[in-house]
Amino acid sequence: MVNHYRRALCAGIIALAFAGGAQASPDKPVIGVVVKIGGIPWFNAMEAGIKKKAAELGVRAFMVGPTSADPALQVRAVEDLIAQKVDVIGVVPNDAEVLEPVLERARVAGIKVITHESPKQKNADYDFELASSKGFGEAYGKRLVEALGGKGEYAVFVGSLTVPLHNAWADAANAYIKANAPGMTLVGDRYGVAENVDQSRSTALDLMRAHPDLKGFLAFGSQGPIGAARAVAEKRMNGKILVMGPFSPGQGRKLVHDGVLTGGYMWNPALAGEVFVTLGTMVAKGETIKDGTVVPGLGTVHPDGHNLIVDELVDLNKDTVDELAKTGL
Amino acid sequence: MPRLGIGSTEGWLLLVILAMGGGLGLFAPSFLTLPNLFDLLNASAVNIIFGVGLLVVLIAGGIDISFAVAASVVQYLTAMALAPLGGGDWAVGLLLAGGFGALLGCLNAFFIHQFRIVSIVVTIATFNLFFGLLMFWSGGVSIYDLPDWWTTRVVIFGTETAGGHAELTLPVLVMVACVAATWLLLRRTSTGRQLYAMGDNPEGARRVGISIGAMHYLAFGWLGLMAGIAGLMQSHYAQEVVPNALYGRELDVLAAVVLGGARLGGGRGTILGVFLGIILVAVTQNGLNLLGISPYAFKMIIGAIILVAITLSSQGVGRLIGSWRTPAARGAA
Repeated sequence: MVNHYRRALCAGIIALAFAGGAQASPDKPVIGVVVKIGGIPWFNAMEAGIKKKAAELGVRAFMVGPTSADPALQVRAVEDLIAQKVDVIGVVPNDAEVLEPVLERARVAGIKVITHESPKQKNADYDFELASSKGFGEAYGKRLVEALGGKGEYAVFVGSLTVPLHNAWADAANAYIKANAPGMTLVGDRYGVAENVDQSRSTALDLMRAHPDLKGFLAFGSQGPIGAARAVAEKRMNGKILVMGPFSPGQGRKLVHDGVLTGGYMWNPALAGEVFVTLGTMVAKGETIKDGTVVPGLGTVHPDGHNLIVDELVDLNKDTVDELAKTGL
Repeated sequence: MPRLGIGSTEGWLLLVILAMGGGLGLFAPSFLTLPNLFDLLNASAVNIIFGVGLLVVLIAGGIDISFAVAASVVQYLTAMALAPLGGGDWAVGLLLAGGFGALLGCLNAFFIHQFRIVSIVVTIATFNLFFGLLMFWSGGVSIYDLPDWWTTRVVIFGTETAGGHAELTLPVLVMVACVAATWLLLRRTSTGRQLYAMGDNPEGARRVGISIGAMHYLAFGWLGLMAGIAGLMQSHYAQEVVPNALYGRELDVLAAVVLGGARLGGGRGTILGVFLGIILVAVTQNGLNLLGISPYAFKMIIGAIILVAITLSSQGVGRLIGSWRTPAARGAA
């Protein structure tokens, strides 16, 4: 119990420090963004985007990062923001359902709610996504087809056979390749190894052995592209076998320059941070987002219900990877 | 069971591995090629180093859950300590990694011996402590910028074959050294006999004058030393230090070592068993990939093969078969 009070007290103090004196007003809305967890590179970059955009627009916006990826901590953080009477609450949910009641309370209190990475979130005014699962997977499928000239065998890794997002990407990529490049064949089924660099590496080695004509790896999962690229480097197949997938630019930089990691796409958390602020400012001023509205950062949007889904993909290749790595990603 | 001068568990495991190898050789032509067999050894080297370390603790009657995350802590400590030393080299790296590892192992031994706490409780606690401290202190940030000697591949033996380039790398050499050292400790020193004695009957061992405290420090310190070296090897071929890279590895190694005949209650276990247990799991995984079996079935098949192997090698089956055979054998005599 003592722990609970202490945690509440700490959260209160932090919130006070953040809110320090800022009063909400229609011209200078106050926007609080609750992310999954603080202190990791992804959300550090998002915070940088939030701060940059807030300074540009002259609004007050800040990020709250819980100490662990715990849905209960997010609920508490949202409660604190309601008590502070902010104008807009942004959330990157750890658990969409757990947040439903507290987001409803926020809206009853007249606060606008924006979510990210949580399509179909209940009790949100808008949800925005920088990549649709279909668009993301298809972008990879397209790039692989083009790079291989529509011929050859390829293998697919996912983080685990039960990660919905990775499997949706893999489905979209496979569907695109099947429809557009009948000369390409998938070997095996998909392999659930891509969150582990050792397993990705050894599975890639096995697959190269079993399928001497293998020409490409599509690896969805943070460690998959890295592990597969190391395997390709070990077998001195640089350039003969392509490796594509989303990866951390800092981690993959060297492999990209060595020519074993071909590249991929990701979305930029800093851009997501900026969109929280621009979109938040727009809705705080009472604008409605309609089909064809231009939201800076998202471009022209075509809302699907309250979901604003665009494909603002960042290309990962040898020209862009260094810049992205510099932002700490 | 065939008498090869090895224990029955090891014999059965060897039989299962040979049968699987033969089958794979028939159905997946690339299995029985030099490059594939060398890659199997390269990929298993780190687990075998962990395994022989864990074996010493199991023989002494203890158990350790914390060694894999301890290895991650060692990777970080070593990377940190090398920076002010101007980058260091393999000798310094091995010394530091082994030293840090042994220290962390002795920390476990300290709590287990001084406060008479059961080893599984202590090591579950230190598992959380090590991993928590590591995450807190590293902020989850990986280290990609390691010294060149650390990440450059070292090929011990390489040859061109019809099946492609085959090579053995540094982790295999280090594994051989670790296996040899552990074999010497267990089989050629009186300390080794004392470890077996303590695992079999701690009270008896104490009464004949074996220093239980020294044995605890030796066993857990040895595992720490091996874990430190294995951690260095893992980061060598992964070419980076990732805080959660080894998280969960302890259970894979523990399962393989127990599969190899080491008894969780202490007093029993061999190095050959550890080697075969880890190789069996690695061959299974390798074979599934080579045969192109759907990954959705992997866990099921690996689980089934472990069950078959452990059932065959258990004493129950030996006795069952023995009782069938004995009358016939007598009749022949």
